[in-house]
Amino acid sequence: MGGLVKKNIILKDQELVLTTARCLFIQEIDSLVLSDLHVGKSAHFQKFGIPISKDILLNDLSRLSDLIQFFQPSKVIVVGDLFHAEYNKDLDTFKTWLLQFSEIEFVLIKGNHDRLKNQIYEDLNIVYYELKATFGQFDFVHDTENYSLNEDQITISGHLHPGVLLKGKGRQRVKLPCYIQTKDEIILPAFSEFTGLNAKINKEKATYFGFTKDKILEIK
Amino acid sequence: MKNFKQTQGYQIIQNWMAEKGQQPFDFQQRTWQKYANGYSGLVVAPTGFGKTFSVFLGVVIQHLNHPEKSKKGLKLIWISPLRSLAKDLAKAMNEALEEIGLDWVAEVRNGDTPQKDRRRQERLMPDILLTTPETIQLLFSQKNNSKWFRNVQCIAVDEWHELLGSKRGVLTQLAITRIQTLAKSVSVWGISATIGNLDEAMQVLIPNPAVKTIMIKAKEQKKLKIVSILPDEVEELSWAGHLGKSLSSKIIPIIYENTSTLVFTNTRNQSELWYQIILDEAPDLAGQIAIHHGSIAKVQRNFIEEALSDGLLKAVICTSSLDLGVDFKPVDCVIQIGSSKGIARFMQRAGRSGHSPFETSKIYFVPTHTLQLIEISAVKEAIKQKEMEARLPMILPFDVLVQFLVTLAVGEGFKKEETFEIVKSAFAFQYLTQEEFNWCLHFITKGGSTLNAYEEFHKVMVDEDEVYRVKSRRISMLHRMNIGVIVSEVMLKVKYQKGGYVGMVEEYFISKLKKGDAFTLSGRVLEIQYIKDMTIIVKNSRKKKAITPSWNGGRLPLSSYLSHFLRVKLSDAISATGRERELKFLHPLLKNQQSNSHIPTINEFLVELIKTKEGFHVFMYPFEGRLVNEIMASLVAYRLAQITPLTFTIAMNDYGFELLSDQYIPLNEENVQDVLSKENLIADVTASINASEMASRKFRDIAQIAGLVVQTQPGARKTHKSLQSSSSLIFRVLSDYEPQNLLLRQAYTEVFDYQLESARLQEAFDRISKSTIVVKKSKGFTPLSFPLKVDSLRGLLTNEELGKRIERMQKQSMEWEA
Repeated sequence: MGGLVKKNIILKDQELVLTTARCLFIQEIDSLVLSDLHVGKSAHFQKFGIPISKDILLNDLSRLSDLIQFFQPSKVIVVGDLFHAEYNKDLDTFKTWLLQFSEIEFVLIKGNHDRLKNQIYEDLNIVYYELKATFGQFDFVHDTENYSLNEDQITISGHLHPGVLLKGKGRQRVKLPCYIQTKDEIILPAFSEFTGLNAKINKEKATYFGFTKDKILEIK
Repeated sequence: MKNFKQTQGYQIIQNWMAEKGQQPFDFQQRTWQKYANGYSGLVVAPTGFGKTFSVFLGVVIQHLNHPEKSKKGLKLIWISPLRSLAKDLAKAMNEALEEIGLDWVAEVRNGDTPQKDRRRQERLMPDILLTTPETIQLLFSQKNNSKWFRNVQCIAVDEWHELLGSKRGVLTQLAITRIQTLAKSVSVWGISATIGNLDEAMQVLIPNPAVKTIMIKAKEQKKLKIVSILPDEVEELSWAGHLGKSLSSKIIPIIYENTSTLVFTNTRNQSELWYQIILDEAPDLAGQIAIHHGSIAKVQRNFIEEALSDGLLKAVICTSSLDLGVDFKPVDCVIQIGSSKGIARFMQRAGRSGHSPFETSKIYFVPTHTLQLIEISAVKEAIKQKEMEARLPMILPFDVLVQFLVTLAVGEGFKKEETFEIVKSAFAFQYLTQEEFNWCLHFITKGGSTLNAYEEFHKVMVDEDEVYRVKSRRISMLHRMNIGVIVSEVMLKVKYQKGGYVGMVEEYFISKLKKGDAFTLSGRVLEIQYIKDMTIIVKNSRKKKAITPSWNGGRLPLSSYLSHFLRVKLSDAISATGRERELKFLHPLLKNQQSNSHIPTINEFLVELIKTKEGFHVFMYPFEGRLVNEIMASLVAYRLAQITPLTFTIAMNDYGFELLSDQYIPLNEENVQDVLSKENLIADVTASINASEMASRKFRDIAQIAGLVVQTQPGARKTHKSLQSSSSLIFRVLSDYEPQNLLLRQAYTEVFDYQLESARLQEAFDRISKSTIVVKKSKGFTPLSFPLKVDSLRGLLTNEELGKRIERMQKQSMEWEA
């Protein structure tokens, strides 16, 4: 995959691969992990008279295809907000796209946006969990706000669309998407490009991995 | 004239006025007559001389003379930019109508009108409707609305000068052209204060050459007295300081001497500070002074305005929030703190005192740094020469057009050809091409150009009868909520735990505060308890140290007219004959400038090179206002960096700018011509600034007006959570996927035309190219450079790409903040 920049980090003896493609790879469980894909968001906006191009979705999906080609994972884990709102034509597009990866297991931990009937996930052959899924040393949840972290595990979540604000001399400001790492957890950036950035997340003793297209910066 | 004066209508009005011991002003009579002769036009008169009654009574006289021509329903639509005036105006009109004995009714309709009154009006419109540009559009969005407008005889636009240069002015233009197609013989009258481009103002309002137009200017003039407050010695007033705090002791006696004083400051932040300063200086004024600005709770503002009208307040510290609006009879004095930034604004504020026709307006000017004394001298000169700023009309705002088209589609639906004509008859869209119009239609029906990418988009549908309509109820609802072009910052309400609303602050400000931090608002020291649903819950705090909120808006640059007079005055200053008090006072300072550096005459442009411990400084003084100075600074930095790669810190104020580098800046008398050359100006400007970032900021308003983002009202729960997105996100998405979008193009145009003021920039460079450039080396800061050094915004200029920029910032081991 051309242009993909990776950075390996070690947390609790586990190796995690951060990428500039808004997605994490975990060798141990042979899984790609991502969050907040928000499929259906562009069509939802369109329905309300706001013209947002579906090409955003196509781009997000094509990036995900490339990642799957590159890492050849056995599992793709989405930690919530796979679907943005109601069933609309974007979901048909997603369904068609999904067909090409029939040998890969898709796992969803439901997020606050995922309110479709369970039947739909079943039809798509997506394994879904209501609040949490555990694979090996990893706990997957959507939002850690009302969740107490298990200190023996590594918790991976999304939901916040984290960003980091870099300030330099003389009012220079740059906002970048980022991964946030603390002692027990990783918070993922939103996978979809059609998401804003929340740069007001304060975590104790956190490391922020902000990234551009071709660079990952470690910010303590 | 004679015949007209013999008409029954005229006689009735004259008798009515005579009974009250009044006589019509000449300009009123002329307006009545021209109105009777079928003219449209513009009435220009100072406030307090009965501008309202010029147009209003014109319509009444015409009716009295030809009652058979009037039909049921709306006859006069009175559009005003201000809601606050409408109620009083309607009252005055109804009183007049009753006394004259005409069975007409004047009613208000705006955002404050209760639901039941609106429904009643929709069943039967009053004879006279006082409304706002936004409310007219809302009427257009109702089913079967054309029937309300068919018998309109006159559209009057009050305070046209306030609307002229804004998108609200464009909404007004579109309202007029649509009503003109429904009521063919409608007259259009504007009422305006004096501005620099009155002819254009009239043309924008009534662009149709087939309409007979007349401009009626009142001969009556307002008397004006301007007094500068000077400290006892030059040194007492800081060269640069933030406030003329040292002058507060001189303000107090003025407040005591007068019945009621308005103290104008330039920012909300300053008004909060001055309120404290005045209270500290004169504690017994507590309870008799108040603070008034746009972020103070509306209820409280109304309360203050009433108290002011009733003569209960000695002084109100305010911002432009009181520039316009209802007249406060007791106000007999105005104090302007700091630069008013423009001649018209200064006059406007002065005119808030001594309001009745033959009183004198009195304004005291309090400089906040020494050089502002030259500015006041420039203002006086401009007033003497009757020079006023022009308000430039907006051209081709596609966001407003898109909104208008959807409004029509939500209402009765529209047909393509007819509507193209209506739109093109508005001044703002006279150069609209068929392609651009088609693009707008495509945008509201198909969403974008990529096939299949917008299959769920059905905002506006075209029926078989070729009528464009909005079918979906939720889209209609969203659109109605979104009508209007006033876009404000995201504001948070500030409330007490037990209830009790204090005011509003920008989200941006509060994001920097933590729980328990104290800040001042509306003169109170408050402590944050918690934030919930866009509301900040506070309690009174005993803390001594509190932060004064800053609001992003309101940093106006010096107008180009005032800049011109400023340069003239400075040029004359050194040879001043000593007649002008301000210049005489400044003399020691100016002598210092002259002996350590130079005072530029009108044909010169001054460049100062100063080396200090900090590094190498270049100061230049274009006197073009903050924004243009900032652009010039970026440009000069860019051109210098072409000679040697350098990074600069830039600073600017309304007078000039500074470039600072830790390395030697290779600028000298030989190459300064090239650095300030007017060749390749726009190309170099484009290269030197981050245009896309600026456009993205401009896009905030555009996205909201064109309905691309859904507004959240302060204090309201987010009702459309799944539709939340920021305009910068939409900007990014459009730039990536629909780069031909006209709204994007408009964002860039607005940056160049209104933010960079490219015309003004061009003129400035023309002027510089004809000037002698004087390069002076100085050992220390000069009186001109010092304020820049101290009292200025800082920005770091780089031309590097994002990635490189970050890398370099990191290398320099600067602070990273997460």
